Amino acid sequence: MTAASDVAGIMHSDGDEPSIQQALWDAGLDEDIRVEIQTVVSDSATRMQTTQSALEAGRSPPDIHMMDSGWTVPFILRNQTVNLTERFPDETLQYVNDTYLEAILETARDPQSDDLHALPLFPDLGFTLYRQDLIEDAGYNTDGWGTDPPRWEEFSAAVRDARDQAGLDYGYTTQAAAYEGLSCCTFNEVMTSWGGAYYGGVDNLFTAGDRPITVSDQRVIDAIRMMRSFIAGEEENTLDGYPQICPSAIVQWTEQQSLNPFAGGDAVSNRNWSYAIAETGTEDGFGENLGVMTRPYAVSRQEAQYSDVGGTAAALGGWNLAVSPFSNREEEALQVLEAFANREVMLSVFRLGGFLPPNLDLVAEADASDVGPVARYADVVKSASENAIPRPATDLWPEQSALIYQAVNAAYRGVQAPEVAMNDLESELEQSEAEVQANGN
Amino acid sequence: MATDTDTDGLIGGESERRPDRERTGNAVINWMEGLSEAAYAYLLLLPAFALLTLIAFYPMIRTFVTSLRANQTRGLDPLGGFVGIENYVDILTGNARLARQFLDVGLTSSFPFIELGTPFFQQALFVTLGFAVISVVVETVIGFGQAYVLDQEFTGRRWVRVAIILPWAVPIVIQGMIFFLLFQPTVGFGSDLMQSLGLFSATPLANSRDAFIIILVADIWKSSAFMALLILAGLQSVDRSLYDVARVAGASPWQRFKLITLPLVMPALLVAMLFRTMDAMRVFGLIESTAGCTTVPSLSCLVVEAMFGGTRIYATAAAVAFATALVIGLIIGVYVLLFRDTEGGMY
Repeated sequence: MTAASDVAGIMHSDGDEPSIQQALWDAGLDEDIRVEIQTVVSDSATRMQTTQSALEAGRSPPDIHMMDSGWTVPFILRNQTVNLTERFPDETLQYVNDTYLEAILETARDPQSDDLHALPLFPDLGFTLYRQDLIEDAGYNTDGWGTDPPRWEEFSAAVRDARDQAGLDYGYTTQAAAYEGLSCCTFNEVMTSWGGAYYGGVDNLFTAGDRPITVSDQRVIDAIRMMRSFIAGEEENTLDGYPQICPSAIVQWTEQQSLNPFAGGDAVSNRNWSYAIAETGTEDGFGENLGVMTRPYAVSRQEAQYSDVGGTAAALGGWNLAVSPFSNREEEALQVLEAFANREVMLSVFRLGGFLPPNLDLVAEADASDVGPVARYADVVKSASENAIPRPATDLWPEQSALIYQAVNAAYRGVQAPEVAMNDLESELEQSEAEVQANGN
Repeated sequence: MATDTDTDGLIGGESERRPDRERTGNAVINWMEGLSEAAYAYLLLLPAFALLTLIAFYPMIRTFVTSLRANQTRGLDPLGGFVGIENYVDILTGNARLARQFLDVGLTSSFPFIELGTPFFQQALFVTLGFAVISVVVETVIGFGQAYVLDQEFTGRRWVRVAIILPWAVPIVIQGMIFFLLFQPTVGFGSDLMQSLGLFSATPLANSRDAFIIILVADIWKSSAFMALLILAGLQSVDRSLYDVARVAGASPWQRFKLITLPLVMPALLVAMLFRTMDAMRVFGLIESTAGCTTVPSLSCLVVEAMFGGTRIYATAAAVAFATALVIGLIIGVYVLLFRDTEGGMY
């Protein structure tokens, strides 16, 4: 099985120490089956290339590939995964379908047949972390923000005031470099919180070829203009009522670069993944002063034009396990996957590595002393899962993602007006989608 | 092998020659001995040519054949049917399924009759050619200067040599990280400094023009040492007595450089420039570890993006790769043609 060092490090242990392997055996996996990890780098794009090389060459092992939820579907559509709906026992399949987070299951299903082709190992969700102490000192009441975030106007005013009062360098840090994280996640969240969508709502996320392209809608333009206001203040292509709270450097920042100033106490708020909660919410960090919520919003779900957008949002990340059709040990690999679909195994993975269980009800059941600060925010995790917004991860997504993050990054930097950038993007996406209609691929 | 001696009668006159078979007893060896020097040389080179064809031309031919097929993003078969030169038309007209284009230039009715579909610094062909020309010219000038200094006798020359050559020892990823961190607004001083001088934007690594300049400077910083090393080898092979003669004859320092140093160093200089040009045309690692291929797309960036970008567009990737090889081949061809008559030769 492929995995990065974070999962590889907890797969086996010395002696009686808990490990994922032990949890799998306890869950009924044949004791003769030992999961060997082929350690790969943590960078998702590089891992995709490694997986692609192995599967295009028909190479095995690895028998089980750990796939990012953002690029599992392309492999499914290329017939490079084993159909779990056909191979899993009914009860396992039912357990997965009934208890797993639906949003991540959609990234593991064949969009044409709806069959399950991969088993979610852990989902991840985007969170907004903030310094509750500083914002309250600035005169804002943050009660209830966790599950009922404020509107962007209130949030940005609070961040600005807290920054100015505390004399910090930065207000709000996020990721806006021209990379996958912008198109899949941070912009996807902001756009959704404005009631906008790439393809006219969540119903069309996984059906490339015959769907409306809605990136030039006013809601999407306004979302970019708000971010321009956050970056540049009152300049061209910005929006009134939204103060400057982000450093201009966010246009070249990814996750860790945006987290550093926040973790170092130089920023009021940061948008990041669940690992950032574990990193900054400890007693040595900000402890109880760390506030966590999903994204603030501008347009409520009722006001939004498309289905299931508007209101707060949390981008969906995470990883799935897929069995290689070229495996000589397919039965054993399927047994391993079945064992992963177990309550105690999921809790072990959560305890040992801090990875959220795909059955998010288990977060509340975990002991805070075992899983760290994340357990303190179980209600926020639940809320985030209910508002999770997946990326439209079809086989065309990688090429479309690159077009999107370039256009959005250019608009954020102010080198292109939002309207121009989104109109150009619309034509490019239309051309990309037309490939499906013309060639069936 | 035929030699003058052979024909001059070691074996004897025409009348005394016996049939080949009788000379050595082996027809093949006799045939080889009958070849001219040039033909014999080519014969000896044949195995090397065959190997070269296998390891260099066969992949190129396969790449070309792949580039004539359609992309197929779904299903087990990675390629679709034959589409002729469609993929080449797409990459040359800015319609390839790539985030950054190989070439995106349109024709207009007014002067200068062409317009850029996307900005200059976002078209891979222009970025690569611009990078290659500027970097090689500047590195040659700086490298020559460094080599000239290193060729002189002075106290502490050893340390100066180490200082000049040191950047060449830095691995590409480390070199990239140095410049990446230098221009990270919260880490390095580069952004603030250049912005205060009004030369760069606040986020230079996200701006294609600024990032191009950063990568250019990073490459010049490192590769000038390589040029210096090769040129120094040329300089040290110049016979010192020639300068003494020139001095006696009253030649000025410029005349000594122009009439002695430059012509004698030219062969080494051209080889160094050729190597650097080939390297510059293939630039990838430095870009990837500094600003990223999205901000500064080179030809190699495009090949990698098309091949490993996630959407399976292998035919487009093959077309970009083959076109890149053609462009590099063309540039090398220019070198060979321009300098074929140069003293010392260009191969």
